[in-house]
Amino acid sequence: MNFDPSVIIEHWRFLSYGIGVTIALAAASGAASLALGFVVALARLFGPRWLRPAVVLYIDSMRAVPVLVVLIWTFFALPILTGLTMSPFVAALIGLTVHLAAYAAEIFRAGIESVRPGQTRASLALGMSRSQILRRIVLPQALVRMLPAFGSLLSITIKDTAIASVIAVPELMRQSETLAGQSFQPIEVYSFAMLVYFLILFPVTRGVDRIYQRVAHLGRS
Amino acid sequence: MNFDWSVVGAHRDALAAATGMTVLLTVATMAIAVPCGIVVAALRLYAWTPVRAVATAYVELFRNLPLILVVYWAFYVLPIATGLGLSPFATGLAALALNVTAYNAETFRAGIGSIRRGQLEAAMALGMSRAQAVRRIVLPQAVRRILPVLASTWVSLFKDTSLVSVIAVSELAYVAMQIRAQTFRVLEMLTAMAAVYWLLGYPQAKLVDWIQRRYAVTE
Repeated sequence: MNFDPSVIIEHWRFLSYGIGVTIALAAASGAASLALGFVVALARLFGPRWLRPAVVLYIDSMRAVPVLVVLIWTFFALPILTGLTMSPFVAALIGLTVHLAAYAAEIFRAGIESVRPGQTRASLALGMSRSQILRRIVLPQALVRMLPAFGSLLSITIKDTAIASVIAVPELMRQSETLAGQSFQPIEVYSFAMLVYFLILFPVTRGVDRIYQRVAHLGRS
Repeated sequence: MNFDWSVVGAHRDALAAATGMTVLLTVATMAIAVPCGIVVAALRLYAWTPVRAVATAYVELFRNLPLILVVYWAFYVLPIATGLGLSPFATGLAALALNVTAYNAETFRAGIGSIRRGQLEAAMALGMSRAQAVRRIVLPQAVRRILPVLASTWVSLFKDTSLVSVIAVSELAYVAMQIRAQTFRVLEMLTAMAAVYWLLGYPQAKLVDWIQRRYAVTE
């Protein structure tokens, strides 16, 4: 087995473009799923009663269906239904966001519910409004407690962007596939991709743990 | 827009066989990954330092790689590295098992580590042997903590088996996409595929919730 890394150097621009798309897709879908997940969690916890079963069904359905299926369905089937065509990147962004927002919503819910109800009652007794309580009392403690879970969600988000390669988003996984096919050097190319993913993911998971250790005391009550 | 859902019924035998393959992959991977996970966790906890470092490196590597990349890597590298012509099924199974073993090892390690050392010492002070103390005191508590995590790993694994479709293992996602390509009934086949995953995955997700409530540890 001979290993010739020159293929990586030769096609460095092609691969680094893929790394850029991976990071952009992870950042965009991470941010969008946080925002959507927060809204979904609020709807589940405080929304009108008729809305809650629908929200629970959405969350549990996303936990039941593979992200590959969500992505493929969004890219190939959704345009047939709506008549709108989307670029692979937009389809991946929508698919990943819809999938990951369900997980983010569960993290928000668990965090908010972890703050003892006595604190809410005490704040009500002090004359605060519901939104004031959420903003000033519950969320500051809950956000710190959610941090490790969001760290794993971020790592899952980055890993899931690789699945977007099946709908031809030109991120690192897809670029590696293309290069491996053209250069007939799959071992070098895939090993390089492994190295890059590890170098992105390992500091992310470790960094979140570090930050959490620093701020964990702020979440105690 | 006209949809022809009869295409789903016409291919129900192929879909049923593919669903069976998905379930088989999940069961076979877990059957490999639980014992291997215990071994790796034991190596990380009790082995000679260099062996411990290797086990740690393995776990950290596979927990920080996208599974789809591991699948491709196994497909291209395993035949060259081992000299064996592996079937897509064996390759997919190997990739899934490598991945899930790393997660399980971490689950077992955390479960055993979560039982305070003082409990073992107290049990031994009461006259139990070390083996007795581990069997009667540590393991029953560790199992309560490990089981819910294993259950959610199971559901993740069930969903992740769809990723081996990229190396043409004839499980549900691959077969559904093949039929889609042959019949051009894109929306119908993809929706049917999603529906089958949903029908199988939804009860599992609910069961996991139940197990987590049932085994919730309050301290």
